[in-house]
Amino acid sequence: MNDRQKLPTIGPLLWYRDPRAAITWLETAFGFETRLIVDDGQGGVIHSELTLGDGYIMVVGPPSGQAVSPAAFGGRSTQSVHVQLEDGLDARCERARAAGASIEREPATQPYGDRVFTCRDLEDHPWSFGQTVEALSVEEMEAATGHKIET
Amino acid sequence: MTAGFRSALFYQDPKAALAWLEKAFGFELSMLLEDAEGNLVHSQMNFGGGYVMIGQEWSADHKSPKSLDGKNTQSVSIEIDTDIDAHFERAKAAGAVIYAEPETQFYGDRTYRCRDPEGHIWTVSQNVKAVSREEAEAATGLKITGWL
Repeated sequence: MNDRQKLPTIGPLLWYRDPRAAITWLETAFGFETRLIVDDGQGGVIHSELTLGDGYIMVVGPPSGQAVSPAAFGGRSTQSVHVQLEDGLDARCERARAAGASIEREPATQPYGDRVFTCRDLEDHPWSFGQTVEALSVEEMEAATGHKIET
Repeated sequence: MTAGFRSALFYQDPKAALAWLEKAFGFELSMLLEDAEGNLVHSQMNFGGGYVMIGQEWSADHKSPKSLDGKNTQSVSIEIDTDIDAHFERAKAAGAVIYAEPETQFYGDRTYRCRDPEGHIWTVSQNVKAVSREEAEAATGLKITGWL
């Protein structure tokens, strides 16, 4: 089996106006490692794979047709990426901030037992990061949040 | 809950999306949070060891493609190890709008692309042959850094 087949089943693909700048920024701010770039020879990136922990994303651009970067779209987005960490959430937030991420929600422990922060990247894609700091049962989460939870 | 990545997708009608994604792609609902009025607050659907989160539009900046003339700022890629053509037929039968029919790509994946009922773009792939970097560069004229 080659490495390619070890990719997770589901991976987010993000469009950037400047994908090369985005890849560098994502390495600095979030600690991604770039394992593949397919360059179109004109500054564009047709395909790339950036890994962090056991997850990966694809950074592609510049977008055309129905694809658009939030930076060229008034900051609007149709999806976001959530990264679930095993540890180091607050340090990750400080690292992102130092790299210029716009922190929207500062790290805070949520009623469902995860500590979470959210931010925007250099082209305004929304990200959330979480780390479970208190393992709660479904009943405890329902009591804490007031929501009905089906699993 | 393990470490890792998941895409969160914004829908005008997330409950309809849950039903459609089950029918079209075989996703399985693993978690659903509803408020007292029965509105979806949060949900997760599993597929092949990964999962996505399906939610409401929740601010002027977090919108369904249906609210934005079909524009997408991100999409989800699904890598399967079962027959891609059967997956395609199932999605098509469920009403997926097909962008690209299944086709074997230079990097060895057979891939199709479609839109769901609210316009989110999905790419589905199955690796069907091993291709070296040199073979891929020769076939495309592209410069490739790293390879698998």
